[in-house]
Amino acid sequence: MTEEITREKWLLSRRQFLKGAALAGTGAALAKAGIFDLTPARAQGTTHFLPGPTADYQVYTMCEMCVWRCGVVAKVRNGVVEKLDGNPNHPHSLGNLCARGQSGLMMTYDPDRVLAPLMRVGERGSGRFRQATWDEALDFTAEQMLRIKDTYGPQAMVFSSTHNLSQPLFENLLNAYGSPNYGTQRSLCFNAMVTAHLLTYGIQEPARRYDGMKYIILTGRNLMEGISTSETRQLMEVISEGAHVVVLDPRFTKTAAKAGEWLPIKPGMDLAFHLALINVIVSENLYDRNFVNNYTVGFDELAESVKPYTPRWAAELTEIPEATIYRIAHEFAAAAPFAFAHPNWRTSNFVNSFQTERAVAVLNALIGICPEQGDCIFPEEDHVGLGSPPQPAYPRISAQRLDGVPWKYPLVPLKLGVFQEIRDNILTGQPYQARGWFFSRQNPIMSLPDQAKTIQAFEKLEFIVSVDIILNDSSWYADVILPEATYLERYDPVHAVGNRVFIRQPVVEPLGEARSALWIYRELGRRLGLQDFFQYVDEEDYIRQQIAPFGVTLEHLKQVGYFDVPREKKSGERIWDTPSGKVEIASETLRRAGFPAVPVWEAPPEPPAGRFYLLTGKVGQHTQFATQNNAYLTEVDYHTHDLWMHPLAAAERGIRDGDLVRVASDVGEVEITVWVTEGIRPDCVYMAPGFGHTSKGLKKAYGRGANASRVHVTYTDPVSGGQALTQTFVTVEKA
Amino acid sequence: MAEKKRYAFVIDPARCIDCRACLVACRAEWNTPAGQTRIWVHSDGPQGVFPNLSQTFIPAQCHHCEDPWCVDACPTGATFKREDGLVLIDEEACIGCGLCVNACPYQARFRNTVTGKADKCSACFHRVEAGEMPACVATCIGGARLFGDLNDPESTVSRAIAGRAVYRPITNEVNTQPMTLYLSSPAAAAVQVSPQPREPVPAETFWHTVALPVVKAAVALAFGGQALAFIFQLFKGENEYEEA
Repeated sequence: MTEEITREKWLLSRRQFLKGAALAGTGAALAKAGIFDLTPARAQGTTHFLPGPTADYQVYTMCEMCVWRCGVVAKVRNGVVEKLDGNPNHPHSLGNLCARGQSGLMMTYDPDRVLAPLMRVGERGSGRFRQATWDEALDFTAEQMLRIKDTYGPQAMVFSSTHNLSQPLFENLLNAYGSPNYGTQRSLCFNAMVTAHLLTYGIQEPARRYDGMKYIILTGRNLMEGISTSETRQLMEVISEGAHVVVLDPRFTKTAAKAGEWLPIKPGMDLAFHLALINVIVSENLYDRNFVNNYTVGFDELAESVKPYTPRWAAELTEIPEATIYRIAHEFAAAAPFAFAHPNWRTSNFVNSFQTERAVAVLNALIGICPEQGDCIFPEEDHVGLGSPPQPAYPRISAQRLDGVPWKYPLVPLKLGVFQEIRDNILTGQPYQARGWFFSRQNPIMSLPDQAKTIQAFEKLEFIVSVDIILNDSSWYADVILPEATYLERYDPVHAVGNRVFIRQPVVEPLGEARSALWIYRELGRRLGLQDFFQYVDEEDYIRQQIAPFGVTLEHLKQVGYFDVPREKKSGERIWDTPSGKVEIASETLRRAGFPAVPVWEAPPEPPAGRFYLLTGKVGQHTQFATQNNAYLTEVDYHTHDLWMHPLAAAERGIRDGDLVRVASDVGEVEITVWVTEGIRPDCVYMAPGFGHTSKGLKKAYGRGANASRVHVTYTDPVSGGQALTQTFVTVEKA
Repeated sequence: MAEKKRYAFVIDPARCIDCRACLVACRAEWNTPAGQTRIWVHSDGPQGVFPNLSQTFIPAQCHHCEDPWCVDACPTGATFKREDGLVLIDEEACIGCGLCVNACPYQARFRNTVTGKADKCSACFHRVEAGEMPACVATCIGGARLFGDLNDPESTVSRAIAGRAVYRPITNEVNTQPMTLYLSSPAAAAVQVSPQPREPVPAETFWHTVALPVVKAAVALAFGGQALAFIFQLFKGENEYEEA
């Protein structure tokens, strides 16, 4: 087995290094480590004690352990990646890496990696594959995709991916192929946030400025565990400088532990809390009159509609005292413009999460967001005019989208889509039957709610192909698996942050037969007759075409890791990209589609007696469903894969800390051990995502913890298309 | 070298977010065997009753004590203290007896399951000498772990403690003069960071009171015997070698 050979090779080289270094005696490695700087007596007597790891060379690249893309300095010795450090020149890492970033080399050296193309030989889901050559696997994949296209039309092929640097090439493949069906993580994550901010500001994801901030409200951005290195660091920085941070969360998270104020709000009631803040700020004239008059529309309508949303009204719903809400409204407004309510990120909680996000967006507008006409909510200009290979226009697509956009969900931005709806419509066969699924960096078996339904959908398909690094749960069901090189082994398209362009480049050669996505998509495109859409000789040629406009050589970029593009002077006033050209407190777009134009109260469902809210969240040591097989992370993810339960709730059911319990919803059940903790509301239980893998190809992750997507019920917000992950109510009893 | 260095860790628990990046960075830097670790983040919580809760995170590692008991306990001199303050282990000289593991009142040492030798935080001395920070410090997102030279007033550690109260993790019973200075009292997680009085294991007592003197005496006797024989030979003069 190639996997075994590689693992041996790797282990050997890691050990050889230790041994070699120890035996090297007075070798160059020791001189480099500087061990002669011992105390004189010691230095005379001993030259052979173990030196620390030293690198043969180092490479600048970018992390891919989550979507934040920190800059990395990779140290290599004997052809093996020894250590990753944060690149101080990258604004996302600022010299730091999180636990996941530090563990990145173990993704490359994961003994469970797929290192040759695999083709299924057993029943689908049996996990029985044989190795194939790239030619065989790609020819077969192209043959199946062409057969589906010829027989049923290109719309019968579904594509799925997640935010990543080769995504434009993946999208190129699906657009050139001609399918309108593209399922991504977006509707499971940030649809509510993006849709609300597009409608309010014409901005997808507002920037967050921390410098000098004095008051921050976090309604679901657990930055100390949902780590975005630079942003997490900035938050810690302002906290230590005395900023007041209010965390609304039914759970005592690490962010709550660091914040000045933790309010264990009743789930789904964040909307009431924010409406009450708006009520106080409007009725007591605490808003920024200048900003509201000059840069917004719809204030009067809001002033009228928020009248009922008093702190007293909200206190009952949120279970936060009226006086506290009133105080926070005053403190927040007083701290303006050095205050903001975080726009949040993963906002797939309740069907009312869209309204919550609209309320957050409007609240920020009322206090003027921050100086310079809201300058700081504009993402830093990252439109660096990168070059790209020439290509023809995409074929026109006439088929309806399986995700219901726009025919069922008229306001969901086309780019966001409704992933869970695609799965449901594979099952219904409406408006037509999908026949194939192609995914890369997506694990629908784990990521979509109601796992049983997803498995059924897989069973209905004629062809499934996956690009993967290890045998993830969804790849376990695939017919063909195309092994991708890890981010430490390959090139990706370059990436601009602000006016600085960064490269991801191979630190070491790919193990086995693994190949870059740039190579895989081009080779597949060629076999599908779509070669005109992939006009690059190889990865380096692709990047050369990207950087051609800037007079920078690839060699320079590789050596330094980045280059700066001259910053264009900003035009005087910012333009709000909305229909009115202003910040839309009232949105005519919403009104026309039959939804309320201003943020309004929408009651979330509450669990019936005997059931709990099932909360989801983040742990700082893992990324979604992708890192649980990483040997370095499993060493440090202690206390993360148990069910959180309040002592009162546990006592009522005779449950004790460490007991195995059965968590059941209307669609499924799981067994999981309990952590009894004061850190959660008595009406809630919590499971971290990403555990309970079902693929036996993941030796470390298989069967460890439990998977919440087996009990999550599918509920979709009709405005933003977001999945409501916290609307699942569960029973918990001793197993 | 200019002035003598005096290395120390400065730790600000208020800035630790328990992300454990330091634990992974250390593991990657040193390839520590699974199930073992050179550094820790201790947690006390959450403390209190819902909804009035608090939780403290206390990073810790070998404190590179000024009075290191591990050095005293080591029978071979493999564990030693450098002039700059770092307590290090000479792997070649280490016989893996484990006496230092027992001697450390902070349980900062362990016997490496792969090498069989004593192991612990070495403050990434090779990085420090190359002008970098130890792996845990370099990657710390919250800025909770700091390291540097207390004799340099411009170092990050000197600036961090300037005008602040610092706490050493010591008790009335145990004071090894640890070179980790906490910027708030680590008492919240007292159980984990407080030193535990060491009780010498029989092996150590045996080694120091019986075995070591016996070995020394034996060596001395052997040398003495050799010397005597030599002197004897010298005075006696050499006999002519006769062929049979």
